[in-house]
Amino acid sequence: MDPFLLTVWIVRILFLGLLYLFLFRIARALVGDLRAAAREPGAELGRLVVVTSPAGEPAEGTSLALDAIATIGRDVNNAVVVEDQFVSAEHAILTFRGRNWYVEDLGSTNGTFINGSPVDGVAPVGFGDVVQVGQVRLRLERPRSDAGRR
Amino acid sequence: MTAATASLPAIFGGIRPRARWRETKLLAVVAATILVGSVSLELTRQVAVPGEATGLHPANPLHLAIYLGLLLVAHVVLILSGRRMDQILFPTVAMLGGISLLLMERLPRNLVVQSVGPWKLGLGDVQLAWLILSFVLATGLAVTVRSDRWLRLYKYTWAAAGVALLLATFVLGDEVNGQRLSLTLGPISGQPSELLKVILVVFLAGYLSENRPLLVEESTRVGPISLPPLPFLAPMVAMWAIALGIVVVQRDLGAALLFFTVFLALLYAATGRPGYVVMGVLLFLVGAFVMYQLVPTVRVRVDIWLDPFKDRTGTGYQVIQSLYAFARGGLLGTGLGAGLPTVNGVLPIPAVHTDFPLAALGEELGLVGIMAILGLFLVVIERGLRIAASAADDFRAILAAGLALVIGTQAFIIAAGNLKLIPLTGITLPFISYGGSSLLVNGIIVGLLLALSDRGVEPPPPPRRPGRLARLTGLGRPAAAHPGPAAARSGPSVPVPPRTPSGAAELAEPGGGDGG
Amino acid sequence: MRFATSAPARGGSTRRPLGRTIGHVGLALTVAFAGLALGAGYWQVLRSPDMSREPDNPLVIAAARNVVRGQIVDRNGKVLASNKRDANGEPYRVYTDRTFSTVIGYASRQYGTAGLERSWNSQLTGASNGNPIGDALRKFQRNPYDPQKLTLGISSALQQAAVKGLGSDRGAVVMIDPQTGEILALASTPIYDSSAIANPATQDQGFAAARDNKAQPLLTRATQGLYVPGSVFKIVTDVAGLGSGQITPSTTFPQQAQAEKDGLVVSGFRIHEHPGVPSETFDLTTATEWSSNIWYALAGLRTGGDNLASFAARMGFGKPLDFDLPTASSQVTNPGGTGPGGFSDLVELANASYGQAETLVTPLQMALVACTVANQGILMKPHLVIATTGRDGTHKVDPAELGRVIGPDTASAIAAAMQAAVESSIGSQFTTGAKVPGVTTAGKSGTAQLGGTGAPHSWFIGFAPVDHPRIAIAVIVEKGGRGGARAAPLAGDLMSLFFKQAGS
Repeated sequence: MDPFLLTVWIVRILFLGLLYLFLFRIARALVGDLRAAAREPGAELGRLVVVTSPAGEPAEGTSLALDAIATIGRDVNNAVVVEDQFVSAEHAILTFRGRNWYVEDLGSTNGTFINGSPVDGVAPVGFGDVVQVGQVRLRLERPRSDAGRR
Repeated sequence: MTAATASLPAIFGGIRPRARWRETKLLAVVAATILVGSVSLELTRQVAVPGEATGLHPANPLHLAIYLGLLLVAHVVLILSGRRMDQILFPTVAMLGGISLLLMERLPRNLVVQSVGPWKLGLGDVQLAWLILSFVLATGLAVTVRSDRWLRLYKYTWAAAGVALLLATFVLGDEVNGQRLSLTLGPISGQPSELLKVILVVFLAGYLSENRPLLVEESTRVGPISLPPLPFLAPMVAMWAIALGIVVVQRDLGAALLFFTVFLALLYAATGRPGYVVMGVLLFLVGAFVMYQLVPTVRVRVDIWLDPFKDRTGTGYQVIQSLYAFARGGLLGTGLGAGLPTVNGVLPIPAVHTDFPLAALGEELGLVGIMAILGLFLVVIERGLRIAASAADDFRAILAAGLALVIGTQAFIIAAGNLKLIPLTGITLPFISYGGSSLLVNGIIVGLLLALSDRGVEPPPPPRRPGRLARLTGLGRPAAAHPGPAAARSGPSVPVPPRTPSGAAELAEPGGGDGG
Repeated sequence: MRFATSAPARGGSTRRPLGRTIGHVGLALTVAFAGLALGAGYWQVLRSPDMSREPDNPLVIAAARNVVRGQIVDRNGKVLASNKRDANGEPYRVYTDRTFSTVIGYASRQYGTAGLERSWNSQLTGASNGNPIGDALRKFQRNPYDPQKLTLGISSALQQAAVKGLGSDRGAVVMIDPQTGEILALASTPIYDSSAIANPATQDQGFAAARDNKAQPLLTRATQGLYVPGSVFKIVTDVAGLGSGQITPSTTFPQQAQAEKDGLVVSGFRIHEHPGVPSETFDLTTATEWSSNIWYALAGLRTGGDNLASFAARMGFGKPLDFDLPTASSQVTNPGGTGPGGFSDLVELANASYGQAETLVTPLQMALVACTVANQGILMKPHLVIATTGRDGTHKVDPAELGRVIGPDTASAIAAAMQAAVESSIGSQFTTGAKVPGVTTAGKSGTAQLGGTGAPHSWFIGFAPVDHPRIAIAVIVEKGGRGGARAAPLAGDLMSLFFKQAGS
């Protein structure tokens, strides 16, 4: 095979090779991300620890990861589903804005309470505060790994 | 998104650049690949004319320089924007665009001739121009779109605009080969069906995210079958009817198939009910069967899909030539520029730059190359779907998923048509086919996806529950709330209809950088 | 691909399940794309060799215009097709032996390709040599075209003798080596002047002459001529009857003797014997010697339509043969019949069993019938090209088995009956001249009545020697009269020539 033709084919194979290098690097990045996500229990902005739950749903002592917005209520479409007869379908909503957590009562029948005090409209919630809906008490905690905040 | 994406110090007040190293490295590989490809193309040209080996240099250095410059500028703009957007999507799309440039460079220049002033632009020039516009649009959207309010709230306006556009094409469109696909407004002509895809996704995202709980939980029972709830059955059938209409009036089988598939996929994604998909597939089969009987174009397409060799020189010619091209490619291909043997100076595959780019690439890059290109499209889909899965709320999730699906499904449909796996349709291969409308709209899609992937974009309003009537009209005026199944068990106190949330739903955008 | 939702569902808190459904959609798309990859692999690797050889593949067309075609030679190396250059220096085809025109065909710039020039076009032009690895590696060479030289199994002496023997009659001769399937002669008359068509100076007249000739020389009778077989078809009935076990070599029919005199009544229709056959009961051998229609009709009825059709199908009936040239499909009956085996009623079955009714065969097909019996019941694939030679040397085309049709004992029994038909005093009345002096010969003659007043076709099929046959033959002379009149003596002459050449 003459050298020129050899060069041509080397360049052609090189082109295909670079295409695959590109894909390979992406694949590596994806796998790396997946592993990181699995190792880190997710970038949490906060957690809710279930202090009291007479009906057992959610179970006492469990820790629920929170996103920037978490709805609380009896309806199954809520982020936090609470089985309690004194809890409305859509009871309250926890939101993270700026650097703080806020809870807003969504017009529930029996109201929402922070550390025992009723919530009117929107109120700030700090880490360690206990939010009560119906007979269920939930405590807001810091995220598991602070460094996970991106 | 590792710790490496730290922000650089603020410049000029508001601008806070953020490094995007992963994107930089990937773009470097893209640049190298396209450079090598260009050299390969040039070398092939030299082989054909022996004795004129002028060494290793790219085929069209000007185009190459402009394109790589474009990538650099876009990359820098994305860095300067300071937003934490996906870093893999843009390089992948850049690679696809580069392959497109190489292909258009390789094809005869005079397949397309556009005169602009004193210049005569050929195929490669025009494609490069559209690629530039497309990436400018994508980058522009990626850095400026901060709020999805304009998409979210006006979904019925969007739908109406889409229908109007469709009707305009039905009535006023230019008829080419029996298909009414393009609309000409003065000097500009484009294919509105491309834009329609995006409008459809925006509408569906709004519609499905709002009505999701109802669609998930309720059904209309017809005997043993459970269908979507009656008020929602109508829009679904309307969707189907529109798709059929497109087929009948515009003869655009590809668009109809695309619309319907994206619609079904999003419906499934939003509700998780396989029953809807089954019903949709049944509707499709019925529609397809009826169309086959009634519409001659459909019949011809299906017949040549089943046996193209029956009419070798007539209707089956295109598909047969496409298959021949793939066969000639083999495992490694013939090399860029070395395929597509001409007979009497004419390319063997008609419309290769619009409908059959994959066949040309299959011949020149072989099975190895085709798998790489399929891989690139899968990456685009994966990024889009990942953006959807980690979106802040349902609307964004469905929007992102829909946008990713538009690109992915379209690529699948045309690739499968080239390979005779499904009947041939006349839609374009995203980013690779020649076509301004297609490139622009795909640029919009990529821009929107990048914007949606930014974790710092305005958080969505909390979910609201407007009344049933309001839901149907989508005006969102709070009315008597839908009680929901859980409310059946009333609490001990006097049941009082819960107050609907006041309009205090809009959240202020978290100020500056660090928020989410 | 997994889609990590940003908050994994744990401990009772359920992230909306959109992540899950999106994952499903992603999975569906991945599967779809995997399907695409498989499809691409199918066309680019699996089907690549045969697609690259299709005559309308632009690669092949482009090659044909630019490349000097490979030569075609006979089994002894004698050149049959080569190239000359015209005044412009462009190559055109030249053929040295007109008796091969119906086999090799022509390659003409104006009129395209026909015959072997067409079916082996991509190898002759070098666009593809059918070897996938070779094709893949050829890409890496500066001149990617590697025209192949084709070596045919045909012997020029036999071919010329066959055409001469057919003379001014229309007909065909097929000679095959039953142990390998190599074709030693494939003659069809009339022939035509293929060089005239290939030569650009005379192409128009040459083509017009061939096309307008009422005798249709462009039709390769040996492979595409469909004829009523007459008594040669009785061998097919033997194969089916003995192969299915319905008949044995000693089977007799009690009603035969009477029926020889008065005719055999089948469903109200009376079948008559041809004159000269005594009114006795026969076994297989005697029936074959006398070529008894009555016995064979009875044998066919006992065998049944299903068996007849299925054993015939094993030998290639019912579909075109897989062969270097296009072939017509031989049939035992018209398609679409509702009775067993496709026959419409018992009368048709009875008539078909001795080779009349709706039976239609090509000479090649009957040669394969002879080959089956000759080769102990195993049918070898017939092929014209026995080797190809290119840049990388010579590749032999290996013999291939098409399948076992009947067992060796069955084949021997039929062979014995056929030997009696040629060599016994009774049989040789009908097969005059077929016996090769000094070599045990087996065969069967046929006189195919066409209805009306015209002369019947003269048929003969046979092989020699009976033990380990080395040559099988089928001859038909259109309107040649009785089998023994033209076909049998011609076959005998050709087989003798073969043995003389081969040096025995």
